[in-house]
Amino acid sequence: MAKVVLALQKVQHRHRIASPRWSKPWAARLGPGIVDVNLNLHEGAVLGLVGPNGAGKTTLLRLMAGLLPIQEGKAMARFESDELKPVRDLRPWVGHMPEQVRWQGRQTVEDALMELADMRNVGEKRVRNLLKLVGLAQRQDDPLNNLSQGMRQRLSIAAALLGSPKVLLLDEPYNGLDPVASRAFTELIRRLASKGVSVVISSHMVSQLSGLIDRVALLHQGQLLDEGRMKDVEKRLGLEGRHRVSGDGRFEPNELEELNVERLGLEQRENDWTFTFRGDAPRVLETLVQNGNVIERWGPVEPDLVEWLCASTGLEPEDITLEVRGPSMVPYAAVGVAEDE
Amino acid sequence: MSELQRVLRMAARIRRERLGSIRLKIMWPILLLFLPGMAWGFSDPNIVLPGGHQPDTSMEVLFYASLGVVFGATMCGVLLSFDGISKDRASGMLEIRLSQPMPRVHQANALVLGYWQTVILPVLVLLLACLLVVGYRMNEWTSVTQTVVYLASTALILLWYVLFALLASTAAKEQGTAIAFGVGVWFFFTFLWALVTTMVAYASGVAIGETNNPAWIALEGRLDLLSPNGVYHHLLETQLPTVDRGVPVWQVWGAALLWTVLPWWALQRRMKSLVP
Repeated sequence: MAKVVLALQKVQHRHRIASPRWSKPWAARLGPGIVDVNLNLHEGAVLGLVGPNGAGKTTLLRLMAGLLPIQEGKAMARFESDELKPVRDLRPWVGHMPEQVRWQGRQTVEDALMELADMRNVGEKRVRNLLKLVGLAQRQDDPLNNLSQGMRQRLSIAAALLGSPKVLLLDEPYNGLDPVASRAFTELIRRLASKGVSVVISSHMVSQLSGLIDRVALLHQGQLLDEGRMKDVEKRLGLEGRHRVSGDGRFEPNELEELNVERLGLEQRENDWTFTFRGDAPRVLETLVQNGNVIERWGPVEPDLVEWLCASTGLEPEDITLEVRGPSMVPYAAVGVAEDE
Repeated sequence: MSELQRVLRMAARIRRERLGSIRLKIMWPILLLFLPGMAWGFSDPNIVLPGGHQPDTSMEVLFYASLGVVFGATMCGVLLSFDGISKDRASGMLEIRLSQPMPRVHQANALVLGYWQTVILPVLVLLLACLLVVGYRMNEWTSVTQTVVYLASTALILLWYVLFALLASTAAKEQGTAIAFGVGVWFFFTFLWALVTTMVAYASGVAIGETNNPAWIALEGRLDLLSPNGVYHHLLETQLPTVDRGVPVWQVWGAALLWTVLPWWALQRRMKSLVP
């Protein structure tokens, strides 16, 4: 396994929220945030940070970007030497792309990037190369007001790459990108990872990240429920090896009795059906075809955030999907999740 | 590039962008009317001020015309810089800026210098026009010291208002709050300070509004040290030998120093703990 470049050890950051009292109108108390997070970022690996709205993904990214202080715990890094050492300021080593930056004003694209380059002591040549890399070289003299949402996302990516970062943090980077730009962006991330950059992508769409990420971290109510390779996490949560097959007409589950298939779900509609199972997928397909079923679709079940959260917390889907965390945070115990791989 | 150069470059970018802004274009006619316009009016040889007073010297005319700075230029400073931080917060740019390795204190300094330069450059041009107008109309030119004090004090009062506006901007989560804070502070010191002075005088048993009463003059002079506009007028009064409100010059410059250092320090402190 690649070496760890950044290790967060039991880190905590809880936002201060106003709690005025008669005697102390300026009083504040600790609200939601992230608690006791242990997370290792590996060199050249792409980590998907997934969780529902309000899980703490942005807080964790901001903490790693050096924007929020670590209230408890510590960050160890291997940026300057081969040894993991405590690091006080992460900003010189980390590139951060926040979610939805509205680049606006009469400033040109190049000028806006040069301003940030000055703050990082980066030269003009690097800025031009980055504009070329993200496909904005032709628009470098355009005012920011003239950029589309997708172009603004590209500019944010260029800004995050200014300092040749060792860790790249991307908060919902696919928002606003068209399919062509999304594909180019995925390629860019792969290329950066192959050069040794550790990439963290936050998203609430697990399926969007599958195929790109090497590892996944599951965040819920400010706590890291699980982290590891996607397959390992699925296995630990009991969600591995699931397949779904759809066909025309009626489906008779008895057809598969001999195959020792674990039946996970069957939707029988008027003219078609969908069957979800765990078992020997090629044999199931073969049997279904031999029995004269017309198969429309079949394949592995894509990872689904709600299922993951239900499996890792023991909660019901309706409790997870509609419940938005309140302003006071009660540390939430992970259920049935192994600590180590 | 040294840290100082980085700060100055960042300030220069802010200045360049803001100098061409529509906001400043809107402020130009107001500044023209309030600065050279007032200088022209007060330097009229036939002018008679309330109480039958007639300004005798060009410095005295500039002192009266400084009302234009208090009403117009400071407002311009507030309107140019009230969203210096809140706009970036709303657009997400603040998060990008704060994640750069440039120290936050230096970022704060660059913001102050950038916005201050934006307002000071047009105002300085118009102040020079004021000096020419008054010198020409009164056929009496201000001395070098008077000119320096006049320009420096105006630069200082504009710096204070830029600092207040930026400070308010760090606390505001949206533009409406930011402008309410900025304009509120301006309004308080420009229009409501007289009310504060009156209330304190009433509480202290000093007869109110008797402009020749030494107790009232002394109280007003002291209280003016607590207002940026008051300190500005005190600074200009150091060049008017006929005016004495019982406040020593060192106290006036000390107050000016405090009005500069304290909000600047507060802004740096706010920037250090700023959450995007």
